[in-house]
Amino acid sequence: MTDIGNSPAFKPGPNAKLGDIVRHAMPWSSKMKLPGATPFEFLAAIFLVLLVLVALFVDFIPGLVSPKLPYGDFSQLPEWSLNGLFGTDDIGRSIFSRVLYGARTSMMIVAVSTTIALVSGLLLGMLAGYYRGIFERAVDLFANALAAMPSTLVVLAFVAVTGPSVVTIIVVLGIFDIGTYARVAKAGVISQSNRDYVLAARAMGATDSRVLLKEILPNLIPALTAVMPTLMAGLIITEGSLSFLGYGIPAPAPSWGGMIASSTDLLSRFPVLIVGPILAIVLTVYAFNTIGDYLAQRLNNRERES
Amino acid sequence: MSSDIALNDEIILEVRNLSVSFSRGGKEMKAVDDVSFSVAAGETLGLVGESGSGKTTIGRAILRLLPDANTKSEGAVRYKKTYLNTLSSTDMRHMRDRLQMIFQDPLSSFNPRRNVEDIVAEGLVIQGKPASERKSRVEAALSAVGFDLATVAGRKPHQFSGGQCQRIAIARSLAVEPELIVCDEPVASLDVSVQAQVINLLQDIRENRNLALIFISHDLAVVKNVSDRVAVLYMGRIVEIGTGPQIYERPAHPYTRTLLEAVPVVDATRKIEPDGKRTVMPSRNRPQGGCAFRSRCPRATQICAETVPAVTPAPRGQMVACHHPHDEPAPGMAVRTQR
Repeated sequence: MTDIGNSPAFKPGPNAKLGDIVRHAMPWSSKMKLPGATPFEFLAAIFLVLLVLVALFVDFIPGLVSPKLPYGDFSQLPEWSLNGLFGTDDIGRSIFSRVLYGARTSMMIVAVSTTIALVSGLLLGMLAGYYRGIFERAVDLFANALAAMPSTLVVLAFVAVTGPSVVTIIVVLGIFDIGTYARVAKAGVISQSNRDYVLAARAMGATDSRVLLKEILPNLIPALTAVMPTLMAGLIITEGSLSFLGYGIPAPAPSWGGMIASSTDLLSRFPVLIVGPILAIVLTVYAFNTIGDYLAQRLNNRERES
Repeated sequence: MSSDIALNDEIILEVRNLSVSFSRGGKEMKAVDDVSFSVAAGETLGLVGESGSGKTTIGRAILRLLPDANTKSEGAVRYKKTYLNTLSSTDMRHMRDRLQMIFQDPLSSFNPRRNVEDIVAEGLVIQGKPASERKSRVEAALSAVGFDLATVAGRKPHQFSGGQCQRIAIARSLAVEPELIVCDEPVASLDVSVQAQVINLLQDIRENRNLALIFISHDLAVVKNVSDRVAVLYMGRIVEIGTGPQIYERPAHPYTRTLLEAVPVVDATRKIEPDGKRTVMPSRNRPQGGCAFRSRCPRATQICAETVPAVTPAPRGQMVACHHPHDEPAPGMAVRTQR
């Protein structure tokens, strides 16, 4: 099959749409399984994949200097080289290297907090939705209490006790997302429980745990996948604000929020030095939200079809 | 012989004084009120009635599929020598291969993420049957409803039409080799042409396997075709129960007659005069005293307001719950169907 975008005759003219350019530049894009994705959603997906790859393999990028050791003069302006791409910070470290290593920090927090929140939220939400009654009231109370508290302030309170610590931040942020996952899981279980297939499974003699795990759980995954990216974006923002306030990831570990905080002094003289970490946060949050919208949209379409 | 008793002596299911009530927000609604009937092996009992008359609730109460929360049920359900209503939930699970259910909307009765062969095999998996036996029984059940395992394997429920889905649902029930199937409006969501197909299939299977069916439907014509006996429900109570001819040719209860009059018949000479006055459905939460049908009944008298009519033998042999039963040929569709 010859791809239209792959044909040599194609030249992106002034009126070419972004989608055409994407297809031309990345002919394999049509093979990715993102049906109905707009070019922005497609780029967001690629960005997130790259981000995860960077977080996993940043140590193996050839020529990248350590994020913790000085690399050049203090506050060097950006130049066209790998390590100098975003300039250097107030003690001469490569900002580009720190942005890449900061991705690892952010992705680690996102991954672990989300796992904590997802597993506990699913468990609570499924029990609440299936058995209702006292379970449901307890889980609702818990979720409402969490929603009523500003997460940043609560993390600050905990950090004030434990001192700046990655574990504290991860656990507290994870707990804060339990409420949302529990709500989504609960609503899903309630709506699925009314469907005849659950009744049919019980008529076949299925136990409660079989009904919940084998019948209902697989049907909750789409809804959970749709809320997950938005919550992940929230985690990155909260972690950024915490580090900006100085209560986040302890120095000298690189973190996007912390980098913004440390370059505020230079802001009046070299505002360009703050571009790297800001770009990282903005693009990541944008990508997560875009993918979240895309998944939610797909979910709605599928619901309407069935 | 009284028609309350099943047609032959081998009664496999007996329901005695079954009452089910649902409560919500402090209000209580009696969905099923003091219902008694029995079903013999190989017999089809039709349950007819309008929406909310308790048909589905009776079917689910027999199989213990009603939600526990906000539900209260009383009375006894006996399957052969076992009282189902007093079984522990574990013991009840072991009974479930003998009592099965078919649902109104076949597509929604399948887990959308499962393959057809896994859906049909589910009951066998739950029973812990070995994989080799499962495969042969799934194959047999599918071929009993006209499918070939090899051609449908790997397909998802939404790839089948409504009639095909209902046949798969029948296969799923048959795979565990039950003795009684509760069919809850099994053809209501199908096209008329497909309805006949599914009904014929059910009839064939019932005869071959000596299956007892409880056939729940709001469609009098469908019930007439499939049922040995028919129970007519109104507001959770049985108002009339008897053999098909008794009910359809000489309905004794005014409500049964109203239902039969409402069945559309292709007959230009027949004119139906609408009821003189429109009647209001009485509240289910605060039922009126006496007979539940009296506010809509042309024959209601003082006694109907005072005493709830008991189910008693009617002149033609069926059982009827009415103080003033009819004893004349049926209106409407029965005129056409009398031979």
